Amino acid sequence: MWVQEIAHQVEHAAPETHGEAFDAGKTIIEHISNAKEHPLIHLPTLFGIDFSITKHVFMLWFVAAIVFVVVTWTVRRYLKQDRLLASGFMNALEAVVEFIRDQIAAPNVGRKWTSTWTPLILTLFIFILCANAIGLIPIFDLLGLLDHWVLHTGEHSFVKRLIHGGTTATANFNVTAALATITFGSIIVAGSKAHGFIKHWKNLVPHGMAWPIYILLIPIEIMGMFVRPFALTMRLAANMTGGHIAILAILSFVFLFTEMFHQALAGIAVGLVVSVPLAVGISALEILVVLIQAYVFTLLSAVFIGMAIHVHH
Amino acid sequence: MTGLVQFFAIPFGLGMIVIGAGLGIGRLAAAAADGIARQPNAADKITGAVNLPLFLLEGVAILAEVFALLVLFLGR
Repeated sequence: MWVQEIAHQVEHAAPETHGEAFDAGKTIIEHISNAKEHPLIHLPTLFGIDFSITKHVFMLWFVAAIVFVVVTWTVRRYLKQDRLLASGFMNALEAVVEFIRDQIAAPNVGRKWTSTWTPLILTLFIFILCANAIGLIPIFDLLGLLDHWVLHTGEHSFVKRLIHGGTTATANFNVTAALATITFGSIIVAGSKAHGFIKHWKNLVPHGMAWPIYILLIPIEIMGMFVRPFALTMRLAANMTGGHIAILAILSFVFLFTEMFHQALAGIAVGLVVSVPLAVGISALEILVVLIQAYVFTLLSAVFIGMAIHVHH
Repeated sequence: MTGLVQFFAIPFGLGMIVIGAGLGIGRLAAAAADGIARQPNAADKITGAVNLPLFLLEGVAILAEVFALLVLFLGR
């Protein structure tokens, strides 16, 4: 996003035009949002829902396809061997699977239900991790650079539409809300499987108390039921968006200083001294955040599922 | 009024969120470090026990920040 921005800015700053001023807020929002005005494939609006394929929808499918193909291919190749010896990428995959099963699933949902819930938790973890990580790789910014200097596609071409908008699918609140809805559903399913459907709802509140307490407790517990997936939604999306905003805000110093001093050199100096080192630091932090947020989402999902199974008040 | 919200209330709220979350994380980390210093062989267990409240705390702080920014954007 910023490489393309530099190319764009240099081209516009050169003749010292008094055109539109650099609006950092607008530029940042454009680089993290879904780019609804530039859908990749325009589809009609049904029941008030816009079905157009936007950047985030595309990224969602892209990540899902990559995860599906890579994991299936690796596991198939592993199973075809005569002696089941993990090698290469399968080693890494096995380590991840074992970590999720032994560190996240087993301690929280219990030995009895580990094999039931590990697949779901594992799927969530790998999908979120890949979606987060692909958002950090500037694929589409390189594409934009290539388009600017080599391809020269038209104003409304597919490549131009691909460049608009953010790359991280999990930075969209709708995506994380859908993921949290899966957790919400699986909490109810877990409780129902372990205790029966009616007993699960009874388990929400501790029994054997004086009745006035229930008037207070039942609304709180029902609210808590919805707050947990809501917090999951907000945590993942806000963390992914926040890091990108921080990087873009620091990089926009270059253009702000260029504009302030009416000299490209001032901007470049600030960029070299302040922006790029800071952005590198924040990018390193982002790599950590990518891992931690995928871990947090799955850990909390496992904890909530475990809470529905092992009720103790 | 909008200016007051935009340039005073929201930044003030964000600052309060940071103070609260910082205090919480600081206390957690201090207690964990203390515990590990006393019982170095229980380091794994302590880290595991600290993780969950840490994430819940972070979630509350981020929720508050999202709501603060929501007020800002809806107030435009």
